[in-house]
Amino acid sequence: MREETNNSAELLNVENLTVRFPVKRGGFLSRKAYLYAVDDISFSIKRGETLAIVGESGSGKTTAALAVARLVNAFKGKVQLGEHNFLELQDEALRKARAKVQFIFQDPYASLNPRLRAEAIVREPLDSLGIASPQEQQVRVNELFKSVGLRPEQQRLFPHQFSGGQRQRIGIARALSTQPELIICDEPVSALDVAVQAQILNLLRRLQSEMGLTYLFISHDLGVVQHMCDSVAVMYMGKIVEHASRKDLFNNPLHPYTSALLSAVPSVDKKRRAETKRILIPGDPPDPIDPPKGCRFANRCPVARSICKEKEPPLRALSSTHKVACHLVDEKAKSPLL
Amino acid sequence: MSLNQEPIDVARSPFSEAMEMFRKNHAAVAGLVILILIVLGGIFGPFIYQGDPFEMVWAPFSPPGEEGYLLGTDYLGRDLVSMILHGARVSIAIGVSAAFLTVFIGITVGALAGYYKGWVEEILMRVTEFFQVLPTLLFSMVIVALFGASLPMITLAIGLVSWPAVARITRSEFLRIRELEYVMAARASGVRNWKLIFKVILPNALPPIIVQAALMVGSAILFEAGLSFLGLTDPNVVSWGQIIGSNRQYILDASYTVTIPGVAIFITVLAISLVGDGLNDALNPKLRQR
Repeated sequence: MREETNNSAELLNVENLTVRFPVKRGGFLSRKAYLYAVDDISFSIKRGETLAIVGESGSGKTTAALAVARLVNAFKGKVQLGEHNFLELQDEALRKARAKVQFIFQDPYASLNPRLRAEAIVREPLDSLGIASPQEQQVRVNELFKSVGLRPEQQRLFPHQFSGGQRQRIGIARALSTQPELIICDEPVSALDVAVQAQILNLLRRLQSEMGLTYLFISHDLGVVQHMCDSVAVMYMGKIVEHASRKDLFNNPLHPYTSALLSAVPSVDKKRRAETKRILIPGDPPDPIDPPKGCRFANRCPVARSICKEKEPPLRALSSTHKVACHLVDEKAKSPLL
Repeated sequence: MSLNQEPIDVARSPFSEAMEMFRKNHAAVAGLVILILIVLGGIFGPFIYQGDPFEMVWAPFSPPGEEGYLLGTDYLGRDLVSMILHGARVSIAIGVSAAFLTVFIGITVGALAGYYKGWVEEILMRVTEFFQVLPTLLFSMVIVALFGASLPMITLAIGLVSWPAVARITRSEFLRIRELEYVMAARASGVRNWKLIFKVILPNALPPIIVQAALMVGSAILFEAGLSFLGLTDPNVVSWGQIIGSNRQYILDASYTVTIPGVAIFITVLAISLVGDGLNDALNPKLRQR
């Protein structure tokens, strides 16, 4: 309703997405406990842009991505994609709508069916969604192989005959086959070595500009994120703690956790290395099944005050491009660490 | 050299690589050759070596080699060569068809339980456990005793008591594979449930099931021998177990009447085990790297 003109550019609008998993604790008479892997997060992506979700292992970023693609079930929330609320679709409608959201997986060694030839892997979505005739499908597969940089002769090979980078190219071709509106990339390069990482990232960027793709990009590598994204959401223990444009986030990180993450990025630039002070965060994240009632980062935060342990900070907008969930950030948008 | 100039291999499927691995395993190939000979003997033997296995051809208890009877005669003076050849048919037929039945029931139950999980799995696995805790020989004896000792009924009895092992293997493979990324990718591509089960997950779950099925043929042959030794068999059909059973009173006087069919069972089951082991090594990618 609000900002109707602004919303029209948004391809994906996620509101209050929550994913929980039942956990077994103690004996069978104990009360049912839930782990909130993703706890009430909201974000949106404009058409043709890339949003990165970053965070450490276990922060819920992959679960959030899987929930958006309906590969795990969300407990509540809304995933608005075009005119559909993706979370409300059932059975056949969901199956058809899957063409619009495709997924690129982290591990190229696990994401390709070892019994199918490369061409069959790329054709699978077209087949199962009944897109195009067999001849048209073949034409499309040929085009896709070309655009991800694989040779046509390689179509007949099986996954184990490819290298990691080539396998990831097959995964990308498969994701592109249905001409999706949104592609979710779940750490697409973290399993590859550095030289190949750059090739794949550049391929993803080239495809984005050629086809006008929209990416939801999951990563823990801020270097990669800086290379790829228009805006960034930082997750910690199932919550978004900071959500900003790339420029704002990298130039003026406000949440102490974001600052710590950024300070941990290694740099070969001597000057930059001298300037940035490493911010160490001691300890481990608290128990995710029974999270603290205040800010979830309070027990590790170098500047936490008493209010942080009592009240959970809401995600507040400081400007149109910068939101942060921290009590200690004032309207001047100055990092509490400075 | 750019990425596009490396030489490419001919497409080699995981299956053809496994078969190559199998060919390099001498024990398994030997087992396969013996098995093929036994099957050919069962199929064509009775045409080449003619004679009714139930017919009295010579004096009882004539030892092997005497009077032109290569393996001698049993207590009723029947030709043991003819009996062994006819018995091979029955043993192999029952072994193979019982294994098929076992695999069919086991895969169906295991696949549904492992794919759908939840209450479907609960119910199916409780049923599986029920069949697993039944004393197998006793249960199959009851079936044969109640419904008659015909070959189909014996096959059914063996199949009904041996499927739980296959169901459990299938379920555990499904539980593992359904979480793999390529299955998720297939789901994200809108692949339907039945196709996920039978076209995506099942082919990848097959290797251990194939091995189990091969070994199942051997154990079904042993099972049939056990039942017919106890007299629970079709009296109009010769089987190896039945030859042993009917001659067991004379084991001290004419031990060869019991030994010869026993050796036939032993060699057959050994050959099947060798093949099964070879398949296991060939189909298990972790072993392949050794």
